[in-house]
Amino acid sequence: MTESATESFAVLGLFPSADALMEAIPKVRASSLGRLEAYTPYPVHGVDQALGQRRSPLGGMVFIMGVLGAVAALLFQWWVSAVDYPLVTGGKAPSSWQAFVPIMFEVMVLFATFTAGLGMLLLLNRLPFFGHPVLGSKAIRGITRDRFALAVEAEGEFDPAAARAALEAAGALEIEILPAHPREPAFTAEYIQRSAAGIFVACVVSGLLMYSMVKLMPALPPMSHMLEQPRLDPQKPSAFFKDGHGMQLPVAGTVARGFLPSGLAAPEDGARLVNPLPMTSAVLARGRTEYQIRCTVCHGALGDGVSTLTAAYGAKPANLLAPAVRADPDGVIYGTIVLGKNAMPSYAADLPEDARWAVVHYVRALQRAQNAKDEDLK
Amino acid sequence: MSAERSTKILWSATALGGAGVAATFFVSGAPRFWANWVVWFLFLFTLALGALFLVALEHLVSARWSVPLRRIPERMASLLLPLCAVGACALGALPALYRGTRPAAAHDPLLAGKAFWLSVPFFSARVLFCLALGLVPLVVLVRGSLRQDVDRDPRFTVRARRFAPVCMAIFALLVTQAAFDWISGLDPGWYSDVIGVYLFAGSFLSGLAATVLAVIYLKGRGRLPAIRFDHTYNLGAFLFGFIVFWAYIAFAQYMLMWYANLPEEVVWYQAHIDGAWLPVALLLGLVHFFVPFFALVPRDAKGDLKRLRWVALVVLAAHWLDLYWLVFPELGRPPLFSWPELSFALFFVGATLLWMRNAMEKGEDMPVGDPFLKEGLEFRL
Repeated sequence: MTESATESFAVLGLFPSADALMEAIPKVRASSLGRLEAYTPYPVHGVDQALGQRRSPLGGMVFIMGVLGAVAALLFQWWVSAVDYPLVTGGKAPSSWQAFVPIMFEVMVLFATFTAGLGMLLLLNRLPFFGHPVLGSKAIRGITRDRFALAVEAEGEFDPAAARAALEAAGALEIEILPAHPREPAFTAEYIQRSAAGIFVACVVSGLLMYSMVKLMPALPPMSHMLEQPRLDPQKPSAFFKDGHGMQLPVAGTVARGFLPSGLAAPEDGARLVNPLPMTSAVLARGRTEYQIRCTVCHGALGDGVSTLTAAYGAKPANLLAPAVRADPDGVIYGTIVLGKNAMPSYAADLPEDARWAVVHYVRALQRAQNAKDEDLK
Repeated sequence: MSAERSTKILWSATALGGAGVAATFFVSGAPRFWANWVVWFLFLFTLALGALFLVALEHLVSARWSVPLRRIPERMASLLLPLCAVGACALGALPALYRGTRPAAAHDPLLAGKAFWLSVPFFSARVLFCLALGLVPLVVLVRGSLRQDVDRDPRFTVRARRFAPVCMAIFALLVTQAAFDWISGLDPGWYSDVIGVYLFAGSFLSGLAATVLAVIYLKGRGRLPAIRFDHTYNLGAFLFGFIVFWAYIAFAQYMLMWYANLPEEVVWYQAHIDGAWLPVALLLGLVHFFVPFFALVPRDAKGDLKRLRWVALVVLAAHWLDLYWLVFPELGRPPLFSWPELSFALFFVGATLLWMRNAMEKGEDMPVGDPFLKEGLEFRL
């Protein structure tokens, strides 16, 4: 580096119009005095080609990131709605590509615009960078308003006088020589510390503000839309219905799934019914669960009619292991569950049909367990 | 190729196509003949309207860059004149192709409220009124512009700018009428509010593509030497934008109907994308969006004449396929494509090229009387 290169950063020539700038560029470029750069108040198309700059890679980056965004959105939606948690919405198949397209479009645009903005600012323009020499020049007012500047920037053997002469010859209105300005590294330890401290303070302040808004000023409840939506809540009044209740009785004649009326008048009428469930371990397990919830309290864990209730109240529930019950057909036990018997109430409202039949299977298993034969041990 | 020889070829192609067109009526039957006729009428009508839109848009927003190119869409818009005859003839399709206009439709409870709207007299009146209305912007904008070549009167430019908003309203009415009557009318139970915008997207796209082709043709003969990369880049960018717009509208219409799943709406898509029509619908998406879109993504491609030429040809072919896909499922499945369709293509493309050649030979290649021509020529991106 020569002495003059350390003294001056660039020689700046100001031109009155974009056309004048474009005409001047090839003239100054021919003398190859240093690196050429243009500063204009608005983007001038073609100036990068005239300066001989290589093609910006930004377009390719944006394209690749846009495609990646679309593909990522497609895969994410497909995985969420068809693989991880398939939900039928509006009668459509969980993996309906039609529903994915708008989100794919949005994510593609998001990826592409972020790549364009951040890629241009951080990657290609090397920001953050404070104090570019041109910002400190006298010409900067004109450059941001109505002047077009061509700068011959120092590079290797730099001769400011020759650069000044070349710019004048090319028709520059004014010439300004910018002093050298050592470019400092952007991410110094101090800069990082100050940024981190700033972020920390911003988090604390906004958190405290939010907390005081919520706790101290209840007049401003934040984000309460989920709470206050117009919906019907259980056990809550509602102005929507005439009787003012949020909960309504089913329409007369409604039959819940699994609770078809049995049509039995007495438990004995059930004798003709056949247990529709196979006696598998899954059915028996269900029968045991239901039995333990509904039946054990009176009939006892073994079905022998001895339970905690007997000791407390002196009640005498039926012994399910008695020969009379063992001789009853499945349908009679089913009918007893549906209609109740003596002090036993109906369990039709608590147990759906298949649960009742599972309990019948389980009662049979209890009976056999307490009356095991020699063959059963083989 | 010499001019006389190419004229001879065009004339023989048109004559050959004309013979095929006549034969179609007697061999393949009236419905197929009229389906082809309606497709080609709509193709040329929307193309001419798209060109007219480009002219009106320039006056409306006082665009400068397109002034040197304006004569080309003006010539294309003048196709509206012969299209009056083609459109009036297309009314012959009314009972054969448009089942809503048959007397039996009056007993359909779905169509009871639309009986008057679908009746042959009112349908014909709408069509004829709109064809005649299309001549108004033609007279004001195109004839006035041609006159300005001679008298250099800048008052025409002022008048055109005042008239441009009216012209836009006329344009909107014409495109909507064409979409509602000629396309929606095929299946009178079906309705889509966006079908007019859908046809507008295809209309402007085809007008633009035809303009691009004409610019390339004239430049190749050295008749538009002042048109530079900056102008063709703008045309290419316009084309690129409206390729996306068409896809956006087409998908928006499809997705809304797919989501709502209403029987009277979905039945139309069942006829157009189920079974044998699915490959046609997929091909339409490919040639109307994916191929031209990715071809025009790079910056230089939008001004590259070689690239623009084949993209414009693909877009025009895709616009024909679009109309074919809209109209032909009315004839049932599988898709009919054979010598009648090729004959119609030969006849109408040949006749249009002859008309355009004849129109281009007369007068100036640029609106030389326009006060903004110099600014348009100096236009830089």
